[in-house]
Amino acid sequence: MIKIEKNKFDEFLEILKKEYNVFAPKKEGAQTSFKEIKFAKDIEFNNINTKIPKEIFFPQAEELFMYKDSKIENIEKKKAIAVWGVRPCSAKSFILIDKIFGRAKQKPGDKNFEDPLWKTKYDDSLVFTIGCNTPASTCFCNWVDCGPFDSTGSDVMVYDDGNGFLLEGISKKGIKFLSDIKDFEESNDKDRQNIEVLKNIAETMLSKPIDKDLLKVKIDKSWNHSIWDEMSAKCINCGACTYNCPTCHCFDIQDEGKSNKGKRIRLWDSCMFPDFTNEASGHNPRDLSKDRFRQRFMHKFKYFPENNGDYLCTGCGKCIQVCPVNVDVRDVLNKIIEF
Amino acid sequence: MSKKKPYEILQAEIYDIIEESPQIRTLRLKPEKNFTFETGQFVELTIPNVGEAPFTPSSSHYIKEKLDITIMKAGFVTEAVHQAKKGDRVGIRGPFGSKYPIDQWKGKDVLIMGGGVGMAPTRSLFLSLIENIDDYKSITFLIGARTPEDLIYKNQLKEWEKLKNVNIVKGVDKVPEGQNWDGEVCLITKLLDKISIKPKDNPVVVCGPPIMMKFGTFDLIEYGYEDKDIYLSMEKKMYCGHGQCRHCVMGKYYACKDGPVFTYDQIKNEENIWE
Repeated sequence: MIKIEKNKFDEFLEILKKEYNVFAPKKEGAQTSFKEIKFAKDIEFNNINTKIPKEIFFPQAEELFMYKDSKIENIEKKKAIAVWGVRPCSAKSFILIDKIFGRAKQKPGDKNFEDPLWKTKYDDSLVFTIGCNTPASTCFCNWVDCGPFDSTGSDVMVYDDGNGFLLEGISKKGIKFLSDIKDFEESNDKDRQNIEVLKNIAETMLSKPIDKDLLKVKIDKSWNHSIWDEMSAKCINCGACTYNCPTCHCFDIQDEGKSNKGKRIRLWDSCMFPDFTNEASGHNPRDLSKDRFRQRFMHKFKYFPENNGDYLCTGCGKCIQVCPVNVDVRDVLNKIIEF
Repeated sequence: MSKKKPYEILQAEIYDIIEESPQIRTLRLKPEKNFTFETGQFVELTIPNVGEAPFTPSSSHYIKEKLDITIMKAGFVTEAVHQAKKGDRVGIRGPFGSKYPIDQWKGKDVLIMGGGVGMAPTRSLFLSLIENIDDYKSITFLIGARTPEDLIYKNQLKEWEKLKNVNIVKGVDKVPEGQNWDGEVCLITKLLDKISIKPKDNPVVVCGPPIMMKFGTFDLIEYGYEDKDIYLSMEKKMYCGHGQCRHCVMGKYYACKDGPVFTYDQIKNEENIWE
């Protein structure tokens, strides 16, 4: 584990920039989101409530190809991406999306396709995850197999002890990167003890998790239950929860432009919108607001676990923060368990 | 198609167009290079600068140099399809999804129900089956449409009826004044009453509007078909074609990747499959 004093972060950034395009939280107006960073002074180090970093690897709008007599232009390979300062809930979300977009590597003979746009960005990336010393009131990572210091999806874990950052290699890539950089102090026993203290404090700030076994039993029986009517009654299907979710990955494919010089793009889409499933015939499999509300939770807490073994939720609480009508995923899960 | 290039498009030329009904036409395509698919699988058809939509080819999968796609006017892509002319260029992406397992059906009595534009995938199946017609004990094809005018592939029915061990039964919901009709007048599910049913271990394929698929399946179960022998083409809003964009999901399944051909046995425990 190496130690970087905060006033020496510029030196570290220079090393990182040699091999990587570096993304980190940057404050612009009231919003802090992940942007490409040239100087350490541009990084917002303290805000736990950044916008989610999903768009680094899966942009909101992305060109699939240009139409030049319907031919596809190659996706150009850029310098690899390093992301500084994602939270454990986002680092884990990359792994979850990779199960869908990068999964062709998983089993031989299966019918899954690799997504080249995701893979060219994500596969060579270096993810620096910063542990959360003070989880927010909306955080519930401990409910869904994540946690304020969970290292799933991280190449390097970063601990902020107030004076500086302690960096611990997690993946092979991360360990190698740290072993290659010189001129930084090694951590000592006291630093490591401090980290344990930070972890213990963070744990105490989180709420008691739900009973996951009970959730499985109950959600399977919930389909026709009136809880879905009750809980969805106030939902306006605005889609804010899905756009701010680190794990949501639905997309639309659209053609833009005229003549033979248009382009095909893919865009974030949302299962909250009626048009998401509306068929050309006018038939809509999820016609009601309730149908769409239920679908979102069924996908995250039933279908994805059935297919992939994990919840499609990392407990970041963003959906709770942004929902204009105060739908709280924790209330929804509790209602399912309690009916 | 390469696993690494899921959005790659194969260009094709429209070499002929057949007007099947006022709302339905068949594009006959000649791809730039041979295109291989299995009957039941679907493709994404691109109308350049308009967009892309999923269709199941309606031609035999034994033909690689050419491809028929039968399309009903419904949305903006299909609207553009209906304005296309001979010689226009389009794009094909795929094939995607599961197929009808016709190799497993050898020696059996095969029953097919195709309603409305749902006849398109079943035409591909029928044409693929009759390539090796002696391999099957019999093929019964129940064909339904709203009115005689809406019935597609009219010209070919006469040819198909001549084939040995093939039984074609056609019905329409109603016959408006001025239209001629020499078939049955009833819902397609009622055509089951007009044939001799051999449900034991024999496959049946249902393709059509959701309501026909639903009641067709229930009727077939009444007639004694087993859930595992009922093949359903669950066509949904399949956009990406490879189980990622999530427009076509039915419970834990993706229609595009796990389907579109499912047995009823596979999906009967998912909620709302008929929606």
